[in-house]
Amino acid sequence: MKKPELLAPAGDFERLKIAFFYGADAVYIGSSFNLRANADNFTLEEIKKGVDYAHKIKKKVYVTVNIALHNIEALQIEEYLINLDKIGVDAIIVSDPFILNLAKEKTKLEVHISTQASTLNKEAVNYWQKEGATRVVLARECSKEDIKDIKANTKAEIEVFIHGAMCASFSGRCVLSNYLTGRDSNRGGCSQICRWNFDLLEDGKILQGEKPFTFCTKDLSLASYIPDLMEIGVDSLKIEGRMRSSYYIATVIKVYRKIIDEYYHNKENYEYNLKDVEILRRCANRDNTPQFFNGVFDESVQYYNGRVEMTNQDFLGLVLDYNEKTSLAKIEQRNYFKKGDEVEIFGPLTSVKFRVEEIYDEDFNLIQIVRHPKQIVYLKVPTKVAANFMLKKA
Amino acid sequence: MKAVIVKDVLEAKKIKDKVDTFLLPIKDFSINYHNTFTLEEVKEVLKLEKEVFLIVNKNIFNSELKTLENLLLEIEKLKVKGIFFYDIAVLTLKNKLNLKTDLVWSQEHLVTNYETINYWYKKGVKYAYLSSELTEEEINKISENTKAILFVNVFGYQPMFTSRRHLVNNYLKYFKLKDKSKLKKISKEGKEYPILDTKDGTTVYSNYILNAPLENLKVKYLVYNSYLVSDICKVLEDNNYPVEKGFLDKETIYRVKKK
Repeated sequence: MKKPELLAPAGDFERLKIAFFYGADAVYIGSSFNLRANADNFTLEEIKKGVDYAHKIKKKVYVTVNIALHNIEALQIEEYLINLDKIGVDAIIVSDPFILNLAKEKTKLEVHISTQASTLNKEAVNYWQKEGATRVVLARECSKEDIKDIKANTKAEIEVFIHGAMCASFSGRCVLSNYLTGRDSNRGGCSQICRWNFDLLEDGKILQGEKPFTFCTKDLSLASYIPDLMEIGVDSLKIEGRMRSSYYIATVIKVYRKIIDEYYHNKENYEYNLKDVEILRRCANRDNTPQFFNGVFDESVQYYNGRVEMTNQDFLGLVLDYNEKTSLAKIEQRNYFKKGDEVEIFGPLTSVKFRVEEIYDEDFNLIQIVRHPKQIVYLKVPTKVAANFMLKKA
Repeated sequence: MKAVIVKDVLEAKKIKDKVDTFLLPIKDFSINYHNTFTLEEVKEVLKLEKEVFLIVNKNIFNSELKTLENLLLEIEKLKVKGIFFYDIAVLTLKNKLNLKTDLVWSQEHLVTNYETINYWYKKGVKYAYLSSELTEEEINKISENTKAILFVNVFGYQPMFTSRRHLVNNYLKYFKLKDKSKLKKISKEGKEYPILDTKDGTTVYSNYILNAPLENLKVKYLVYNSYLVSDICKVLEDNNYPVEKGFLDKETIYRVKKK
């Protein structure tokens, strides 16, 4: 059995480092010409910095170039591809065959086909492979049976989304943003209209349920199906969320890293840990389901919560440094915490719960409360930690 | 040329003298259309002796490949001008089966530049059906830079969202609401958008009927869609609908934040 790649999103260089630290094998990032125009995208210099960093630790960086080009962008794309090639990115992720063709003609770039191309069948996968793509990211509407049959009938690498938010539409077939907000969803301007509430009308009258009508779906999670995907031979397991926080990335990557490694090294005794479900649900503050993987897309996967989603306040601080002699962790605050709180500090492989007893400010004065965003404090911790460990509510 | 997406054979017969081309969504293989045509019905329309293109624009699931193959073989026996396709499987199967029917690249919101149209042209796809979210300037620039023969929407409600999920039925089932009629709308800030559930999923349409001025569009086929329009015959004869340019004079933005 092949060990699949664990592929993480990274909105900026800090999150790229976090993703690798917590066990991602590769990250995907955006710069120009990608579908998250409003994310903190990388400049070319930052891409180089990220690629150099990744290659030093033998990891990979893919760059999304997956917009639907208009004439004007079609004129600009060649220079950009040549720059990415010079930087040495490990692959670009595209949905437009013109870009695929151009990359093959003008650069040595490896090309992956984005889920934006909505590839659902082996004919389409093999078309892309013959055109020079090495990998195809399957559409999120694929079932387990679809994935299995496609993988068995292609030479292309297969990548599958395993966790994160879902488009309510087929990828590429939604321009709600264009019509309702004047922002082009297929060029990175998606304003997530599918999460809005609407009135559903019949003969001019509102069909009113207890909550308003929405397209919104629960998140995807295939945590309990990772062994199935590994047995099928899926090459890369992808986490959604280039606009997600470093805490989210750390938590999700840590869980999936653990599942993949446990099954790979000891599949006979592998047991799915239900605690993982709760960890994943809690860090996104949203319910999740396997979505189309089991062929179920009925009302049970919809999300009629009638509320604006709030990020939870679990993430308390990021460890910047640790002094082994004093057992003090230097921490940058993310949410309010105080002396006496029950907390947990975790890294890629460890996690320890304890009660907050000693907190010091930057001048090493004892303090009781850490209330300011990004405030630097020193916290006495009961275990050895390192930079990029995270402090959360227990 | 006036190309019309018609509701049924009856409507096709009614308007045959006012159109050049019929576009017929095919049963089980087209989405975003209220009514679809069986191959028997296609044969009926072919008797009207007009150009006929068939619309096979659904995303093809792996399990549907064999049925698609059979459909393409059946279509090959008919004298249709071409097939609108969304999924690449239509092209690969056409090539595998050595079929002669021409294809129209019809990836809805993704047909947005001449370079990609020319890519498909080189693959033997002679026609392209432009996205409705382009400006007039972009459309004409495409026209100047491609040999592909173009279609563009000029009249009708425009699909703006297509899902595999049954979003209306899911809502009704979840809250145990009664479903009286097929036609529904969703409303936001005073605007109403038609929404349609079919066995293949859900489509949401624009709140307006596109009614584009035609004089400056350099495109061969001008597409009229009769969905939710009862008097398409009159539209083709003497169009009294208010002008609605959609995106023809409206460029969309997408970079809200710049570094």
